[in-house]
Amino acid sequence: MSAHKAKTSSTMPCSEWDLVITRVFDAPRELVFKAWTESKHVAQWWGPTGFTNPLCELDVRVGGTIRIDMRAPNGVVYPMKGVFDEIDEPERLVFISSALDEKGNSMFDVLTNVTFAEQGGKTELTMQARVIKATAQAQQYLQGMEAGWTLSLDRLGKHLDSIQESKSSTSSSIDKQEEHM
Amino acid sequence: MEDQLSQTFGALADPTRRAILSRLASGEASVTELAEPFAMSMPAISKHLKVLERAGLIARTREAQWRPCRLQAAPLQAVAGWVEHYRRYWDESFDRLDEYLRELKRKDSKNRVSKNKEKEKKHVRTQGKD
Repeated sequence: MSAHKAKTSSTMPCSEWDLVITRVFDAPRELVFKAWTESKHVAQWWGPTGFTNPLCELDVRVGGTIRIDMRAPNGVVYPMKGVFDEIDEPERLVFISSALDEKGNSMFDVLTNVTFAEQGGKTELTMQARVIKATAQAQQYLQGMEAGWTLSLDRLGKHLDSIQESKSSTSSSIDKQEEHM
Repeated sequence: MEDQLSQTFGALADPTRRAILSRLASGEASVTELAEPFAMSMPAISKHLKVLERAGLIARTREAQWRPCRLQAAPLQAVAGWVEHYRRYWDESFDRLDEYLRELKRKDSKNRVSKNKEKEKKHVRTQGKD
């Protein structure tokens, strides 16, 4: 891992992180990096289950901006903006992201350092995040967001249950329902 | 205290302050006791304690002469709670990224197969010309 790099970086006076997540993805590093840096790709996976990203613009260069509008399954839109601090293709991305309230003010700013390490055709991704700022609203924000996605999973579960129940009687209408999903 | 959460995060961003907190997790301690493991002057330690106090992470008992420091759990819980939510948010995103990368790989290998077939065809054609 390139943790030593993070320490020498000028943007990180402190080596401590509030959150570290490591995941291995079964894809080559170039592809994973691409999935993080091309808007059309990022729009496909950013955000929790069931979220879509009606707006997703990344200007991938140092100082370049990020604008993403996440739309929860319950229709609530969560706008965020950010700025790239460092880009070291295909190894590292550093950016600061801010979740915005309805007036466009930041509720929390997070410095995120993402490293992509090659691992025999797979990619070990390490995400380190440090909170720079968090207002009191920040707590409700994430909770609300989480309610949005867990609720939608609930609904999906119930929907699937109801399909199961009526399967034997009306199989043709179910096919239509499934198409809508 | 509008930015309590920010203050807590800020206070936690320092290794000395985190060490002080973990010491206090095992019980009250005086400033002298807290300063012991660090090669730091008392004023420096006092500064750290003030930051922790302002963030609501520690409280100093008024009654006792030696004014021991005590850990205050509430702001820590708020931070831990927030981080937990944030982790779930990313876990969810990474699940989707995982799924999406599989999709990309499938498309990629399909493209490669069809490209190879084209190449083969061209190869056959040029061979035929010779």
